[in-house]
Order: sequence, then C-alpha cells, then structure tokens
Amino acid sequence: MAADNPIDPIHQFEISKIAEMQIAGIDISFTNSSLFMVFAIAATMTLFILGLSKRSIIPNRMQMLSELSYNFIANMLRDQVGDQGRAYFPFIFSLFMFIFFCNFIGLIPYTFTVTSHLIVTFAFAGLIFLAVTIIGFMKNGLGYLRIFYPSGIPIFLAPLIVPIEIISYLSKPISLSVRLCANMLAGHSILKIFAGFIVMLGFLGFAPLIFLVVLYALETLIAALQAYIFTILTCIYLNDALHPDH
Amino acid sequence: MKFFLKIFIFVLPLSEAYAEGQKSAGLPQMNISTFPSQLFWLIVTFTALYLFMWKFVIPRLSTTIEERKDKISNDINDAENLNSEASKILENYDDKMNSASLESNEIVSSSKATMNEYLDKLKKDNEIKINAMITESEKKIHQQKQQSEQEIKKATIDTIKSIVSKYVETVPSDDEISKKLN
Repeated sequence: MAADNPIDPIHQFEISKIAEMQIAGIDISFTNSSLFMVFAIAATMTLFILGLSKRSIIPNRMQMLSELSYNFIANMLRDQVGDQGRAYFPFIFSLFMFIFFCNFIGLIPYTFTVTSHLIVTFAFAGLIFLAVTIIGFMKNGLGYLRIFYPSGIPIFLAPLIVPIEIISYLSKPISLSVRLCANMLAGHSILKIFAGFIVMLGFLGFAPLIFLVVLYALETLIAALQAYIFTILTCIYLNDALHPDH
Repeated sequence: MKFFLKIFIFVLPLSEAYAEGQKSAGLPQMNISTFPSQLFWLIVTFTALYLFMWKFVIPRLSTTIEERKDKISNDINDAENLNSEASKILENYDDKMNSASLESNEIVSSSKATMNEYLDKLKKDNEIKINAMITESEKKIHQQKQQSEQEIKKATIDTIKSIVSKYVETVPSDDEISKKLN
C-alpha cells in the first residue's frame, strides 16, 4: 500500500487525527494540520514576544527581526495602497507571518505543511476576495463596478472587455490560492522523491543528494517568495478596491 | 549510461507506487472530510494570531519605531543647533581676530607716526643748532681773517719800512705804503 511505502511523496500531506472533536455532528478533530497551525502562530508569537521584551532605541537581534518584518510589510502596504491601507495592516501583517511560518516549518523533514492544502489557502483567498469586494462597494458604492470597464476603452469594445474583466476578477481567489498551494505541494513532493532516491541508490546516492541540497535552497527561497507574493497580491487587490480608477 | 539506467529502473516502480497511492487514497488535499477541521482550526489559530498582532505587537512596535524616529530627529536637531552655535563662536572669534589685527595695525602706524614726528623735530632742532654754530664759526673765521689780514698788512708795512729805511733817508708814512701796496 501507498501508506507503507517509505518514499510515497504524498504521504507527508496526509492528515491524521490527534484528538477527536465534534461540534454539532461536524468533525473538527485536532489534527497534525491544526498542530502545525499552532506551531506557526507559536513561532510568530515567540518571535514578537522575544523581540518586544526589551524595547530599546538600539535594538537587539530579535527586536531587529521583528522591526524588520514590521517595516517590510508596512512599506509594502504603503507602497501598494497608500495611507488608506493603514486600517488593514494588522490583517496583512498576520497573514504574511502566518503563511511565512507555515511554509518554513513545512520545510523541516517529517513536518506538515499547512499551506500545501488547498482548503487552507482557499479560505484565505476567499476571505480576501469577499473582504475586498465588500470594501470596494462600501468605499465606492456602485462606482466600484468601474473596475470591470477600464477608462479609455472605446464603447464598442465593452462587450468584449467587460466579460473578460469579470472573469479575471472572479478567478483572482482561485489563482491566489492555487499558486501558493501548488507551489508547496510540488516543491515538497519533489524534495521527498529526491530524498527517496538517495536511499535507493545507495553509494550513488550522492548525486541526488547534491541535487536535493540545491533544491532545498530553492524551496527555501520559494517558501519566502510565495508568502511575499500572497501578501503583495492581497495588497494589490485591496488597492483596486480602494482606488478602482487606477 | 549505467547510472541513468539505474535511475530509470528505480524511478519506474516509484512512479507506479505514486499512481497506486493516488488511486487508493487520492490526494489528501481532496479529502473533503478533513475540511471542517482544517477550516475550524485555521479560524481559531489565525484569529488568535490576528488579535495578538493587532492588540499586542503592532502598537508596541509602532511606538518603539516612532520613539526611535523622534529620538533620531531630536538628536539631529541638537547636533544642528550645536553646529550653528559652534559656527557662531567661530565667526565671533574671526571678528575678534580681525578687529584685533586692525587695532594692532593702527597702533603700529600711530607709533610710527609719532616716532617720525619726534625724529623730524629732532632733525629740525639739530639743524637750527648746527646752522647757528656754522654762522658763528663763519663769523669767527671772518674776524680772524680780517685780523690776520691787518696783521699781515702791518707786518708788511713794518718790513717795508725797515727795508726802505736801510736804503732811503726819508721813510714814507704808513698811509703812503698802504696806498702803494693796494
């Protein structure tokens, strides 16, 4: 069976229950996925609790790290959205830290990658999509519909442009969630497959080992990059909602 | 070649196992029964994180960063103030140096002038004295000259008298001799 195969690359994504739980007949058991979500927020909280324990003018390393991440996201939000985005900063900041730590913890062998599950990324993307749409209509009223008809387009092109814009708008949450999930899924599967080759090839295993080291570096980059991409796309969607004319 | 063959041989059962695994269990991502649990725990953990960030991290970090910005701008202001003060002091010093050098130049020139005046006065006094002395001595020389001329005349007359008295009986008078001599 697949589960017994030591190099089954999909095995790492399987969800196993740790504690059974039910609410109104719905299974909400505490699983390995839930455990690694807790790990991710625990890591974030540890970083900030340590970073904020001694708040000084000249920061120590942990304070430097927490201020660096704060400034990174604050600058991203300011560049993309402007001062109006300030209200959404806690969400954007939490989103980035959560995805970042989920991706990175998942890189450790024998761990579970929360963001490799489409339902998790889609929950984020769907929430962002709904929130952005609501914010867009709240801030601009029906004028928000202008985003489906960019200014400067001749009227006879409208029957062509408007459906395309609507489809691209509706596909945003799908592309956003699939991008992150697929990157994690593919990357971790390939890592597992090549790790399996090392064992299977015995002495010749050094060749896939070298490849694995390079791939691992690439995956580390991707883990950070995908968290960044997810966050910056959220900022861009938010900007579209706040300034539909651009 | 052998190496690649070996890889191929090992990949073959692997990919079969992969396909089998998919067939038997499917992708764990597509197992709908795990969705409620994942969503529930995602909401719980992410809400906790969001509240933590919103209420704890962001206010503290932003105040720390603001404080640092304020401190830096204050320090820069202080430094600028000190700098302007220092340049003012330098200006003052330069002014004082300039006025001091002007003053010293004045003193030098005035003392030169008084010195020249004194010298001029001394020269004039000396000239007057010297002139007086010169005229006096000229007078003396003149007197001496006249006196010696008269003496020479007298001696000449006497000599002539004595010479003439040896050869001639009648000795001419002094007047006659002086008339002839002239």
